[in-house]
Amino acid sequence: MSQVNTSASPVDPLNGFTFDTLGWRAWLDTVSLAGATPEQIAVLEESHPHAKTSDYYLLLVQQEEILWQRSGVFNAIMYAPGGLPRAERELASTVVSRVNGCVYCASVHAQRFGQLAKRTDAIEQVFEDPSSAGTTERERAIIRYAIELTDHPEGVDAAAIKRLEANGLTHAEILDLTHAIAIFAWANRLMLTLGEPVFPHAE
Amino acid sequence: MTDLASPTQPAAPSGADTIDTIDALAGLQAGSPLAAIRHARDKVALHTQRSEDALFDPALPDLSLQERLFAAWYAARLSLADDLADAYTAKLITTGAQPTTLDAIEAGTLDAIEAGTLDTTTDARLIAILSHVKLLTIKPVEARPEHLQTLQQTGITTRGIVALSQLIAFVTYQLRVVAGLKALRAAQEAA
Repeated sequence: MSQVNTSASPVDPLNGFTFDTLGWRAWLDTVSLAGATPEQIAVLEESHPHAKTSDYYLLLVQQEEILWQRSGVFNAIMYAPGGLPRAERELASTVVSRVNGCVYCASVHAQRFGQLAKRTDAIEQVFEDPSSAGTTERERAIIRYAIELTDHPEGVDAAAIKRLEANGLTHAEILDLTHAIAIFAWANRLMLTLGEPVFPHAE
Repeated sequence: MTDLASPTQPAAPSGADTIDTIDALAGLQAGSPLAAIRHARDKVALHTQRSEDALFDPALPDLSLQERLFAAWYAARLSLADDLADAYTAKLITTGAQPTTLDAIEAGTLDAIEAGTLDTTTDARLIAILSHVKLLTIKPVEARPEHLQTLQQTGITTRGIVALSQLIAFVTYQLRVVAGLKALRAAQEAA
């Protein structure tokens, strides 16, 4: 996948968002693996393949039952077969992360969209200006719904559903889309408020 | 965030004939077409309910249940999810919170938090929690380490901060799932 952004660029066309692989550093004490309980180790192993070396998971496992269930929700939403194509779930997740300002989350899911869709054009547009992003009518409808449900959940109504239906989404797919948007209300808030991204050129 | 086969516990039956919190909040009838669509994603429904159960477990030692319910109620209220806020209000009252206290918070404390003129001698810990709820709900991008230090200064532990953060973030998820389901229900009823 192309690296479309560099920190050396005098003008940042992507508003600080990037396809680069970033790190993340916790602002609170994480659990040390040596001191972790067997239950905490089990939850880490179920949560993510790299959780045992990730500040994010090593902090969240301070409350292992809550992390256990959150990982169950997250993985079921993002990786379940069938329904809304996974690339479109990643597109929605990236839009939410862009709207909420989560540079770390956006970078991860921008990469994932690129791997699944074999292109990055829609994400570049999202980083530049989500309100006009999308390479097809269907993408624009998905992005519009992701912005609406993120910024004004109280205003989402039957008309919003009709716009998605008009672009070929079934109600099962719209539920998958809703889940992919909502879980990033959750994920972005953890990433944004319990620590910070680490940029590769900074260390 | 790579492929993980399945959640960590075997999925219990979660068919369209059972009603969980999200179903109730979204007004889904058992056996309805939309309930069937929702419960086809049984692992999402199951772990969403279990997340709620874990976050509001009365035995969680690091933050009182009443503090957690106050946080959930305020996150819903700030998000204009009034039905969800009212559901948390009802639970708050069962924990002994006085309706007058809720009214006072809404009428006074919340305005004072926004104005930055709060008398923090009243209940510093609850006020710190509510301030953090507002930050995470409305402007999470503005969070800094100092905000966590403010919570620590009122005696909230790291485990308490992790639970509080997960809880606020969960409510912002929960209200969006409900909003989407309500819109789907409205679209189906209009069809």
